[in-house]
Amino acid sequence: MYQGEVIKNLPLSHNVYLLRVKTDLDIIFSFNPGQFVKIKINERIDPLIPRPFTIHDVKKNSFYVLYQVVGKGTKALSLVQPGSKIEFLGPLGKPFPKLENYVICAGGIGIAGFIYLLESIKRKIHTYELPKKIFYGARTAEDLVCYPFLEDIETEVEIATEDGSQGYKGLITEPLRKYLEKNKVDVLACGPLPMLKAIAQIAQHFGVKAYLTMETFLSCGTGFCKGCVIPLKNGNYVHLCIEGPTLLAEEIDFDAIS
Amino acid sequence: MPFLKLRNLELKTPLMLASGTWGLGENLDLYLTKEEIKSNIGAFVSKGISRLPKKGNPPPRLYETPCGLINSIGLENPGLEVFKRDYLPKLFCYGVPLIINLHGEEVEDFVALVEGFKEENVDGIELNISCPNVKKGGIAFSSDPKGVKTLVKEVRKVWEKFLAVKLSPVGPVYEIAEICEKEGVDALVVANTYPALGVIDLAPLKVIKGGLSGPAIKPLTLRLVYELAQKVKLPIIGSGGILSGKDALEYLVCGAKAFQIGVANLIDPTSPVKIIQEMEEIKKKHGLFG
Repeated sequence: MYQGEVIKNLPLSHNVYLLRVKTDLDIIFSFNPGQFVKIKINERIDPLIPRPFTIHDVKKNSFYVLYQVVGKGTKALSLVQPGSKIEFLGPLGKPFPKLENYVICAGGIGIAGFIYLLESIKRKIHTYELPKKIFYGARTAEDLVCYPFLEDIETEVEIATEDGSQGYKGLITEPLRKYLEKNKVDVLACGPLPMLKAIAQIAQHFGVKAYLTMETFLSCGTGFCKGCVIPLKNGNYVHLCIEGPTLLAEEIDFDAIS
Repeated sequence: MPFLKLRNLELKTPLMLASGTWGLGENLDLYLTKEEIKSNIGAFVSKGISRLPKKGNPPPRLYETPCGLINSIGLENPGLEVFKRDYLPKLFCYGVPLIINLHGEEVEDFVALVEGFKEENVDGIELNISCPNVKKGGIAFSSDPKGVKTLVKEVRKVWEKFLAVKLSPVGPVYEIAEICEKEGVDALVVANTYPALGVIDLAPLKVIKGGLSGPAIKPLTLRLVYELAQKVKLPIIGSGGILSGKDALEYLVCGAKAFQIGVANLIDPTSPVKIIQEMEEIKKKHGLFG
């Protein structure tokens, strides 16, 4: 594991935090959009397993993680003070696929990894194409923590909130469905499992590809333990930490994921 | 000078990588240099190998507990032939002694597996006796001292090199340890994970059944090592919740001759280096082990 120093760890909403970790430049030079890091809060054995986080952005000698407090691991991370030393392992997993004609669809904290992709395009760090459109949904306007950033992106952004406090009232998959009725584009998506499942069905219906960034509890992140499997329709399993986290939707057996 | 010699097996350090905690070795050199591997890891214990490929259990396969991890991987492995063809050659390149962990559903499976490795340049065999014996109605070998006796006897007929038995921490542990000693086993690995259960959902009830590992089990396994070391003369390889050099030393002072790390390697793939380094520092400070 590498050493890092927490420069900031700020709440952006009631349960979403932005973490900045300073480390050696040559380590973060190898970070690609869609990959993740495993963060260990020093000397802690409860929670025992370092949690994985998508790389949210990379600037100068720091990387950023945008995370939602959902359990013991993220709660512990939210209490880490600036100036603290942490350890991390990464980059882990495969980068986002390089798509040409596609849209992004993000639900809630699922937006985190796409910011690095969009920043990479803007700052010409990695050679990704700009998405034709970005669909970004959350429960409420307050949960759209990355909205201010998206205002600067040179592509159209459509918002949906479940309570209707901003944009379309309802799930983000509805505006996506309407768009796909008229546009044949692939979809790159990350968000809650029901959203990803719905996108897999929508993509199949319109005959386009969907690439979904999946999530599951994982321990090693290195392919060592074989614990983080996702069932595929062909009856095999994929090890999410090394073969993912972004998978082709049509291959995933959602019925076997409980 | 080796740190420890057990029959043909020569360990440069007391640290062994436990079965199933470093994959099939294909990614190890992404995290450690060849030199770090060679100078810190005394021996590799391969992922459990079966005669035929096993795709493993459906998810969820993992469940975290306070200071512990329950796993239910289901012995996923590519099977004997693919392992020998695709993975063994790379493992030999590291210059670290290699012990093959084997599991089977009946004695014949183990014997066939051992024979499959006879012509290979591997250094030893570790028998996983926590698996069910199909011929005895699915009761685990580790619950059946007579079954273990037959198993070890049959394996010894075809395998002359280093042979270890990985004990389950539950069942007639002492009786099985004594049988292993009588039947010519070279070392006992103490111990496998503890049968455990995690509640995933309260209602409707959804559980995961698997093996508990990690610091949560360390005091339990330490006790077992301590007691067993008084009862049998066989060298004991301690395994259970070692995360630091201090943890490793605790096993050694309680009677283990070497130790295996598991969860530590899942948390941090560079932990072999850190554990050996820390252990050496503490040994020096306290003048332990000469």
